[in-house]
Amino acid sequence: MTLADLQRYFATVATSTSGPPADIDAIFVSSARLSASERLGIYNRGYHHRLLDALASVFTHTKFALGEADFERIGLVYLASHPSEHPAVERVGRLFPEYLRTLDAVPNELADLATLEWARLHALVAANPSALESAHRIDPERFPYSRLRFVSSLSIHQVGGRALSLFSQKATPSEQLSTPSSSTADRAVRAVAVWRKRYRVQHAVLEELEAEAWQLAASGASVSHFCELFDSGAPTADAQHAFRVVATWFEREWIEAIDGSTLSSPDPAETSA
Amino acid sequence: MHRASDPQQALSACANGDGEPIRVGFGLRAPHYDEILKRGIAADFAEITSENFLGRGGRAYGVLERVRSEKPVALHGVSLSIGGVDPLNESYLSELAALADRIEAMSVSDHLCFGTFGGHYAHDLWPLPYTEEALQHIVQRVKHVQHRLGRQLLLENVSSYVEYRASTLSEWEFLAQVATQADAGILLDVNNVFVSAANHGFSALEYLAGIPRERVRQIHLAGHSDGGGFLLDDHGSPVSDAVWRLYERALARFGNLPTIIEWDERVPTLVELETEATRARSVSNAWFSSSRERAPEQP
Repeated sequence: MTLADLQRYFATVATSTSGPPADIDAIFVSSARLSASERLGIYNRGYHHRLLDALASVFTHTKFALGEADFERIGLVYLASHPSEHPAVERVGRLFPEYLRTLDAVPNELADLATLEWARLHALVAANPSALESAHRIDPERFPYSRLRFVSSLSIHQVGGRALSLFSQKATPSEQLSTPSSSTADRAVRAVAVWRKRYRVQHAVLEELEAEAWQLAASGASVSHFCELFDSGAPTADAQHAFRVVATWFEREWIEAIDGSTLSSPDPAETSA
Repeated sequence: MHRASDPQQALSACANGDGEPIRVGFGLRAPHYDEILKRGIAADFAEITSENFLGRGGRAYGVLERVRSEKPVALHGVSLSIGGVDPLNESYLSELAALADRIEAMSVSDHLCFGTFGGHYAHDLWPLPYTEEALQHIVQRVKHVQHRLGRQLLLENVSSYVEYRASTLSEWEFLAQVATQADAGILLDVNNVFVSAANHGFSALEYLAGIPRERVRQIHLAGHSDGGGFLLDDHGSPVSDAVWRLYERALARFGNLPTIIEWDERVPTLVELETEATRARSVSNAWFSSSRERAPEQP
């Protein structure tokens, strides 16, 4: 057998969810203490345990809500059809939320919860921004025509209210999930922003207008363009509303750069203030 | 990033056995990050798992910056799959090279094994058949990696639980040949030698004797457990007494090399980990003191 043949054989046995092949003793050395299939079994258990552990470390709340046995059963089937494609092991869960959504037996709330947990992992490990933009450096004359660039840790997702409750409560038994929620808040799907501020991952529900404005801004619309969304015919209140939203984005450290609007250097007076 | 003094120079000085105390370090692990951010580490250097820092920011990178501002840092990878038949992941290599350059890594190492199959990652250190075909395949890949990194790669021997009937070389012969032909360094994991020797019934001392001393740059130590009929390299306990004794034999053969404690399961407190690293320093110091009192070794 060639090197490629031997590696293919090893990988097949080590990742298999069925028993070892009949010809295993022809490929690997057995001893009085351990047979070849027992020796390969160490790798087989290690492979599944390690990847399942990686899934569990990312989707801790989802695992809790599903229950350990169901999480393991679903996780093993997922891993068989979605083996890791990334050098970092935790990325093996990249498609897990979508996979959960395809399963009739799993409530949508849990797929939402997994979506939230995956987004939080993304935020946790995202590269640091090259710099953070300060509102102090805005050139007010040009700001309306400029475009905002957001930090890479930020993402916005549609998540059901029940998933948010499950995340914050931590202690909802899985059987409660089979009971349909009567709460309007739990049934509503909200736009949820997930980001990292320094070392801390956070998430927050956005109002509908803010989510739309962010979507426009992230797609490259100018400040004046996305601020039009706040137009309700009451200019002062609308301007205040838009200002509050954009100010929040700065305060949350979402803005990595403002293209075409910053002053060339910080105003010393403002910096020292 | 502010950095401590030239780590490569420090490593070379230590590897030459110029009488300085041994450099001991340990692998940085997430449960210790908060404490490390506050007070740094009490060790000569640190090792990080490369994959946990590639293209990343946040707290992990903050920890790396904190440690690197005071100490040299070694990069230790688990996903290179140097023995695999899948093509090397070039974007991974680019990121690894960038990280090594950015932190002026003391060394870059990975394992002599394979861990990819059909475009997928096993996230395990699967053993290789020790054949001439595998040897030539790996030598070419190591040369390529070293070219991409612009530096020597250190290859670590893995612990293993199975051997291929197709192997025509012993593990130590294979490791020695790869390192020599590719001009690579060796990161000798003494615990892995011990575990594999027990699992396959070969002599750990014969293994050490078969490794070219001029190729060995660093040493790893870790704990193992009894898996029931075999030893499991689980990095979940203190270094065993038997491995400490084998470490002394390794020091006798390879000199006063930088030594790293690895601990991945049932991770102890940072202080306990630092104490284990200090024990490596004590063992080394004691061994070298007593060896000076004995008759000098014949060349």
